[in-house]
Amino acid sequence: MTPVYRAVFGGYWLGWLLLGLGFGLLLWFIAAWWDQSEPASSAQKLLIGLGFLGVVWGLARVAQQFVDTPNPLIGFTPAALTLLALLVTAEALLRAYQVPPGLIPTPSRVLSTLLEVRDVLLRDAFQTVVLEALVGYLVGCSLGLLTALLISRYVFLERGLLPYAALFSSIPIVALAPVLVKMIGIDWPSKAVIVAITVFFPMVVNTFRGLTEISPLSLDLMRSYAANEAQQYRWLRLPNALPFIFNALKLGTTLAMIGAIVGEFFGANGQGLGFRIQIEAGRFGFDIVWSAIIVASVIGIAWYNLVGWLERRLTGWHVSYR
Amino acid sequence: MRISPNLVPMLVVALAVLALYWPLMYLVNIPVAQRALDTGAALPCQTAFECATQLRSPVLPSPQQLWNGFGNLMLPLNSPNAIPINAAVTAFETVVGLLLAGVVGFFFAIGMVASRAFERALLPWIVASQTVPIIAIAPMLVVLLGQYGVQGWFPKAIIAAYIAFFPITIGVAKGLKSPDPMALDLMKTYNASPWQTYLKLRFPASVPYLFTAFKVAMTAALIGAIVAEISTISFQGIGKMLAENSRASDVVAMWVIMLSSAVLGILLVALVNWLERLLTPWRRAAGGAAVPAKQARLSRQEGVG
Amino acid sequence: MMQANTSPELSAKGSNAAAIVSVQGVSMVFPNGTVALKDANLEIAQGEFISLIGPSGCGKTTLLRLLADLIQPSSGTIRIGGKSPEEARKARAYGYVFQAPTLMEWRNVLSNVMLPLEVMNFPVQERRARAERMLALVGLEKFARHYPWQLSGGMQQRVSIARALAFDPQLLFMDEPFGALDEITRENLNLELLRLWRETGKTIIFVTHSIPEAVFLSTRIVVMTPRPGKIETVIPVDLPQPRTFETRETTRFFELATAVREALRKGHGYEVTE
Repeated sequence: MTPVYRAVFGGYWLGWLLLGLGFGLLLWFIAAWWDQSEPASSAQKLLIGLGFLGVVWGLARVAQQFVDTPNPLIGFTPAALTLLALLVTAEALLRAYQVPPGLIPTPSRVLSTLLEVRDVLLRDAFQTVVLEALVGYLVGCSLGLLTALLISRYVFLERGLLPYAALFSSIPIVALAPVLVKMIGIDWPSKAVIVAITVFFPMVVNTFRGLTEISPLSLDLMRSYAANEAQQYRWLRLPNALPFIFNALKLGTTLAMIGAIVGEFFGANGQGLGFRIQIEAGRFGFDIVWSAIIVASVIGIAWYNLVGWLERRLTGWHVSYR
Repeated sequence: MRISPNLVPMLVVALAVLALYWPLMYLVNIPVAQRALDTGAALPCQTAFECATQLRSPVLPSPQQLWNGFGNLMLPLNSPNAIPINAAVTAFETVVGLLLAGVVGFFFAIGMVASRAFERALLPWIVASQTVPIIAIAPMLVVLLGQYGVQGWFPKAIIAAYIAFFPITIGVAKGLKSPDPMALDLMKTYNASPWQTYLKLRFPASVPYLFTAFKVAMTAALIGAIVAEISTISFQGIGKMLAENSRASDVVAMWVIMLSSAVLGILLVALVNWLERLLTPWRRAAGGAAVPAKQARLSRQEGVG
Repeated sequence: MMQANTSPELSAKGSNAAAIVSVQGVSMVFPNGTVALKDANLEIAQGEFISLIGPSGCGKTTLLRLLADLIQPSSGTIRIGGKSPEEARKARAYGYVFQAPTLMEWRNVLSNVMLPLEVMNFPVQERRARAERMLALVGLEKFARHYPWQLSGGMQQRVSIARALAFDPQLLFMDEPFGALDEITRENLNLELLRLWRETGKTIIFVTHSIPEAVFLSTRIVVMTPRPGKIETVIPVDLPQPRTFETRETTRFFELATAVREALRKGHGYEVTE
């Protein structure tokens, strides 16, 4: 009740009015032009421009009232409105100019395509995300963790391997993909290997930092307890590394999705989101491309937030949550 | 010049990898060679062991093959089919894209620092973009731009910019917000104008963050440029060579290109590092501590604020 | 026997003389309801060295920030040289030294001192000369080309003082400038600050939580107590000038320190024998 009250009487009514008018104008046009195949007149295009201006202006005004809210859901409102505004304006403009759907599909068309081909996309997503990205991610992260443990234990390995690990992060994985696909085959394991390699190096570098960037006083404390090396790792180094490990795990989710999708650009067994995007972009099936991108993005965000949630559960003590 | 203590261990590791590579190469190639001999293909060799280093499509190329491959692909330095020119084109696209992203990202970052409403409206999407495989948009974008007559190197640079935009925006916004509240109060006691506060305080403070972001964005932009080259008809660039040789199944060439683009990626990031040292002299010997590890870490995934 | 001032109003010295700082009935309530400062009254004459002392939460930094127009009072009036704090800030009437040196790490020492001169559009030729003079004043002329990280904490804070003096303001606000330094450095800098004060004739308002520092430096000590933050009493310090290391060993010094300590502890008036 309170936000409504504040919206009406808190000096934001003009913003909400503009926002409502703008959206009304745009939606009215979309409804009016739903079945038309003619480009709109310049007067109507002007109306779309006015509607967009109204939405932007209104948004700029009403966003002020969400600036200081502690509730993340309410704080998200301006961002949600921005996305909605962009989608509605794109829809109106594409309809006004009658841009062929083969070039830029309207958002509504993408949505209906998404619903139509969801079974295909879900199968693609299973191949890309579960078989390729997830398997590669788990293997790469575990190996990275082990390598970091070894490197942190032996100075020789640190000096000999760590510089390479740092270098590897600047290598473009696209160049790796064709070679690995050729070597291992076009089925999912080749992409899993690509993913494993891309997540491996950030994992090594981050975990190593977590294991070694320790306050000398803490190390002295351990020494005063006469803790042996295993105990030092168990009670000091590993807990200290946990936030760093989670960083790499979060970064890895994105890298894994990118690795799997880019890997599929170079050869796939007829399935996978990257394969779908590549094929459909080549034959102007952009509504399917967009649908695949939406699926990939939603999974990417969900995966990232899942790891983030785990992180909060396990490293709630860390400064970044205070 | 001081010799790095890493040098000897790094050389030892490199030699160990090379020493292991030989037996591994024979191990994986001999079965393939045996199969090729069994099918009676015309090969310039008699035994599987001999053939293992001369296969047309080896699982792992022999060092000799790689060496020859480098010779073939590198040598006419100015040949349009050689790596140097193509790598230069890709590097050019990447750098132009990065600069483009830098300019646009800077304006967005200023907007987000100046207006909290603007930040509320856009930041969630910019942060979300960091968790999304935006590279997936590249094939479509490049076809689309081609349809509207944007061709040649420019669409590749645009895609590189598009990929680099998000990390740069987040990095710069973090940098602009990095000055201590006390330093902002100090500017207030001088009755400094907002413009002076940006010029004397926020911009210089954001430079280290900008470089940290550039290093992440550089690799991302390079991937973007290469994927863009692959996804469309290109006449030049690393991506075009990759696509061609991938289609022709020239495994040795693919290895050579892979190693070259690895070097290209490392060189481009080294370029940023060099520029950073050049342009932030105050951090020299401070151990690069101006952006503490924690902040670099935050800029990676938590975004601003 | 000197009669102490139990009410701050009475202690307001020289209300007939031209007060450079005048605080009348000033209160500060933060949005969360905290009363940071309640009904503060204070008059400061030209050339005084005033210390604000008290435990955390007594409003001493709040008072200083109010004077500097970094925050605005909930009620009451403040005049700085006859102007409102905002006008005074815009006229660049005061220099402010913060708890931390807040040097710009990308500027060397000299150009850090030139920062306010650049912001205030001083003629280009004049900036360097002024900055060099200020560095000489704090004894750091040899470090002009160094970057902040190459200096010790004490030296950094001296640069920050030079920076505050560079544009020659009549007032100097100092917010626990030596709080983060070790005792030995702090005592040296105290001496140096007194020398600066004598040589430049500035009016200094100095926030501290160290009793010896307050007694050693000040002409008057404003004792503040928390919950709610208020001015408890004002203690005049009659130690002779110029003060030296030996000043700290005089009986009078201990008496004054005891008086401040008791004012802080009891939160009400005090008496001190002459």
